[in-house]
Amino acid sequence: MSAVKRHKIGVDIGGTFTDITLLLDDGTIFSHKLPSTPDDYSKGITEGVREILSVNNISADEIEGLIHATTVATNTILEYKGAHTSLVTTEGFRDVLEMRRLRIPVIYDLRYQKPKPLVPRRLRYEVAERMDSSGNIIRKFSEEDVEVLAKKLQKDGIEAVAICFLHAYANAEPEKQVAEILSRILGPDVYISRSSEVLPEIREYERTSTTVVNCYIGPIIAQYLKSLSDRLREIGLKCPIRIMHSAGGVMSINSAIHKPAHLVESGPAAGVIASAHIAKSVSYDKVISFDMGGTTAKAALIENGRPAKTGEYEVGAGINLSSKLVKGGGYPIKLPFIDVSEIGAGGGSIIAIDQEGRVSVGPASAGAMPGPVAYRQGGKEPTFTDALLTLGFINPEFLVGGEFELDAESAREALRTRIAQPLGKTLQDAAHGVLTLGVATMTRAIKAVSTYQGRDPREFTLVAFGGNGPVVAAEIARVLQIKNILIPPAAGVLSAAGLLFSDVEHEFVRTIFGSRKKMDVKTLGEIFLELEADAYRWVENEGYAVNDVRFRANADLRYSGQAYELTIPTDHKHPNIDKLYSGFNREHEKTYGHKSDTDPIDIINLKLVATIDINNNRNGSRLQVKGGYATSGERSVYFGEEFGEHTVPVLSRNELNINSRKGPFIIEEYDSTCVVPPYCKASLDPAGNILVELEEML
Amino acid sequence: MTSPIDPITFEVIQNGLSSIADEMALVIMRSAYSPVVRDSMDYSTALCDANGEVVAQGLTLAVQLGSFPDIMSLIVKEHGSTIMPGDVFIANDPYGSGGQHLPDIYIIKPLFVGSTLAGYATTMAHHSDVGGIAPGSVAIHARDIHQEGLRLPILKLYAAGEVNETLFKIIERNTRSPIQVLGDLRAQISSCQAGERGLAELVEKHGLGTLNVYFRALHDFAEKRMREEIMSMPDGVYNNLDHIDGVGDDPIQLDIAVRLEIKGSEILIDFEGTSPQVAAAINCPIPMVHSAAYCAIRCLAKGDIPNCEGYMRPISISAPKGSILNPLEPAACAARGVMGYRVFDAVMGALAQAMPESVIAGCEGGPILFSVGGSHEGRSFVLTEVMVGTWGARFGLDGEEGVSNPAANLSNQPIELIEAELPLRIQRYGLVPDSGGPGEYRGGLAFVREFEFLSDTAQFTVRSDRRRCPPYGVAGGETGSPSRNELIGRDGKARMIPTMPMQSFDQNSGDIVRTVSAGGGGYGKALQRSPMLVLEDVLDGKVTLEGARHDYGVVINDNEVDAKATLDLRSNMESLLQ
Repeated sequence: MSAVKRHKIGVDIGGTFTDITLLLDDGTIFSHKLPSTPDDYSKGITEGVREILSVNNISADEIEGLIHATTVATNTILEYKGAHTSLVTTEGFRDVLEMRRLRIPVIYDLRYQKPKPLVPRRLRYEVAERMDSSGNIIRKFSEEDVEVLAKKLQKDGIEAVAICFLHAYANAEPEKQVAEILSRILGPDVYISRSSEVLPEIREYERTSTTVVNCYIGPIIAQYLKSLSDRLREIGLKCPIRIMHSAGGVMSINSAIHKPAHLVESGPAAGVIASAHIAKSVSYDKVISFDMGGTTAKAALIENGRPAKTGEYEVGAGINLSSKLVKGGGYPIKLPFIDVSEIGAGGGSIIAIDQEGRVSVGPASAGAMPGPVAYRQGGKEPTFTDALLTLGFINPEFLVGGEFELDAESAREALRTRIAQPLGKTLQDAAHGVLTLGVATMTRAIKAVSTYQGRDPREFTLVAFGGNGPVVAAEIARVLQIKNILIPPAAGVLSAAGLLFSDVEHEFVRTIFGSRKKMDVKTLGEIFLELEADAYRWVENEGYAVNDVRFRANADLRYSGQAYELTIPTDHKHPNIDKLYSGFNREHEKTYGHKSDTDPIDIINLKLVATIDINNNRNGSRLQVKGGYATSGERSVYFGEEFGEHTVPVLSRNELNINSRKGPFIIEEYDSTCVVPPYCKASLDPAGNILVELEEML
Repeated sequence: MTSPIDPITFEVIQNGLSSIADEMALVIMRSAYSPVVRDSMDYSTALCDANGEVVAQGLTLAVQLGSFPDIMSLIVKEHGSTIMPGDVFIANDPYGSGGQHLPDIYIIKPLFVGSTLAGYATTMAHHSDVGGIAPGSVAIHARDIHQEGLRLPILKLYAAGEVNETLFKIIERNTRSPIQVLGDLRAQISSCQAGERGLAELVEKHGLGTLNVYFRALHDFAEKRMREEIMSMPDGVYNNLDHIDGVGDDPIQLDIAVRLEIKGSEILIDFEGTSPQVAAAINCPIPMVHSAAYCAIRCLAKGDIPNCEGYMRPISISAPKGSILNPLEPAACAARGVMGYRVFDAVMGALAQAMPESVIAGCEGGPILFSVGGSHEGRSFVLTEVMVGTWGARFGLDGEEGVSNPAANLSNQPIELIEAELPLRIQRYGLVPDSGGPGEYRGGLAFVREFEFLSDTAQFTVRSDRRRCPPYGVAGGETGSPSRNELIGRDGKARMIPTMPMQSFDQNSGDIVRTVSAGGGGYGKALQRSPMLVLEDVLDGKVTLEGARHDYGVVINDNEVDAKATLDLRSNMESLLQ
């Protein structure tokens, strides 16, 4: 007799740790952290899954689903370990991929070297063919030419082929036909993707780059996911395995293999989805998620339970400030992403002073090895963590509930000799200065998703998580004048928990700009019907019931002549152009501070998001984290010149209740620490979230 | 740093300032209408202190980072006493108003805390058309500024919050693309408002008094850093002569003469000996000369120097009145950009004598400006393309290709968008083999872009350069290939057109214009280049087999370097050279 399938597993891999969460049908979450196995991540994952099941005495066939966030896609690009890839494109345009958009992310740097193209010039081939912007064929390719090309690719030992023709968003046929010829000759082992399938949107460079990334990582992702599913099957897991994509939904292994370019921000998306889930459960409409770990701090905007999305991301560009001003440093992917801004300030960020006496926190990081001085792994340069420890913000003796001992004295010594003395400050004031500076840097990540988008952070609640998020959240909130902070349970492994709340989701897009058709309600309705048909085909392919799908329709609009669109919701069954226009005018004013009621407006893309809720049975259930960690005692904490030094109680989460307790105090947990400074009070809500409130200040 | 400056607060304020300037730049980029602003990013934003001195600038065009001081000093001097909260200034006139050329419209908003002036939010954007004799308002053949379009001295577009409708109407009537121009002006105004909000937050946090102390500290710090950088450069006088091809069918070459003196912690640059102003639109009002020369020097300064005005203090720049680098009214100047890039090159070339391992060989020469307008199916259209794309080689590094000129940070415009919006077809966009200046390190390749006209009628102008005087090499590196503009009729016949024609061209549907940039200059002797690197270039089609032989003395057979033949050929070539 087979067991009832009812529990779920989430797996989030990072460079250092693999976090595994197990969600039982009663809403309890267990978490498990173990070292990652970078040579083949699926080994560590399988081991971790086996352990968490066995510790909790659960059999593998009781698992109804496993959801995974992976860094494999990103790492393949960062380490240039992708497939031997070729690009086939329209005659006259083989250099589009290499010319890029010309801009680079630095100025005044004559030594700059731009990222090398993922497909070198020698492997980029032109086909004599051409379409116009309406998709009319001006010049038809010759089948014979393509056959000759296929043989050449075969001889070159090409593993993947990206096909990208000019204006293919308007007519997919030529790319399809070429793909068929190539695939007939090259056989099923060569990975082929075409731009009209990966990204049927206008703008040749972005479409080419996205398609090339897709091909470059395709064979590697296929291999990895196959190995993962084989191993998990070996330990008895029979449930579907799904992968989180960069927009925060999940896709089947099959889809992921087909469109791996969707996976590059899989990990960061998971934390935002968790925040959105929590925001919804406590009915907060305006939330900013803030995730601070060892190397970076990340922020995202969540309105009405929905994370803000962006249509473009550069992988390998280093720090993504959600700002196109510094673009050009990586490989652009123009697909839906949760708009996460990221800045190089984390626990491992190195504190340095230059000859001029200027202090900096990051972006250089001590990483996991050697890590902060206090880790006693050979780190000599003081890090942000060493400063937090010196201040007493984090436990100076150990980490992860005592599993990992710290050397506070060395940390203080490094900070004293390398930072405090050169600045002529006391150790405490220097450490607090470092905190202030780190916070100033991190607030930029939050501004990038709020003020830069016309949102006032003061109207938002900060959901802080990650190992260090809850430590500095109050300081950040104070700088941005945010009044409320929420620290969810399992804050240290929240990303892995977020995987458990994701929906199956896919976005279907049609570019209509450039087509000479007149756009009226009827035409829009027809296009949405086509998108809906595509979506139903996808639902069936993914193996779900057609009745379970929900739709959300959007349109991208801009004033005629602008280059960037704003996304406005609409009703796909009854699109209303006037409503779209007025919605656009409102959103334009909100985002940019100006609008025009008379300028012509273009509709660029229609988008239909199909969602399948795979969490039906979880609604209303309440999260509890097992493996709780109790602490007690007190320690001395320095809150800066203004608030001075206090001896503060160290509590566990359960010691809080619905009545606010005045700061200062500290809540210490297995995977993170929450600091409640003197200017705050905090309480615990019925769902187990810590609510920190900042007091009115002058 | 001495007290009472706290290093932490200093960093926090500097961080806050650059975040404001970036936000201002972002508002313009995302909400502007015209392609030249939104895609090419031909605009700048900055935040100034109450004295009108720049304290932070958005990361846009390097060569424009010095474009605010001149107009700001005029505003402070002439309007300082009558500025009211709610004022917004507008200007574009290079004569007496601190402007650069007429398409560059400045929008400047004084920022107040209560009734105290706290600073200025400033923006400048290249507008798609401000009238004049040709679409795009950058006709080289304009003889004086009155042919170049609408001149706006420093005026109040808003006075104490009250909009100046008259001025808006005048602007609307004097452009061929009113929707774009007004849309871009709105984007600039919004950007200033973003700057205003940002500064207000800083004032709230730190207090205006403290903030002013730190603004001064920021200027002093930038000055101190710049002086240290200059101290580390070898003292001496370095003279250099660079050229502009000249205008029209039978051009007379123009000289950019520079005398650069490094003396202790100061640099003096004088352009004495530069050609007199000409009766064409390439005269360069001095603000851009300042800007371009500062930019070249900043490129050689290592480390992080704040983008504030203090760094300019140790550098003095002068150009003779009435020369092409300091023209007198009413000299035409719409196409003066080319001169700014040549100033950058001339100064870089002078610095190459002092410190060859730190400079860059000649780049493509700055943007090729291509403006086309006309009507199609009863609708008029305008397109301005600002085409850049290649770098010269550097010590130890080949020139980058497919990048913006280092003095700019421009983007190209998506081909599919151009074709979807306008009656034009781009036939080709890519790199040109064998065009990089040979050297131990190769100059970046030139690029080609071909436009086919599909409209009933069209008229275009083009501004380019570097045909007779191609981009220079450094340390024995050779020059890059010269630029070319060709007109190809429907009969397939190509004819050359000048780099700076004194006319616009009327075209018919089916005609093609082919623009080819210059290639980047090389670094070091070509015969010293590693044959393996030459082979890589040959495999990538960046250098042809003949090019490998002729330029580098490298013989390649069957995708492999023929070591013996290469050795022989190279020693032959060496002896010929001697």
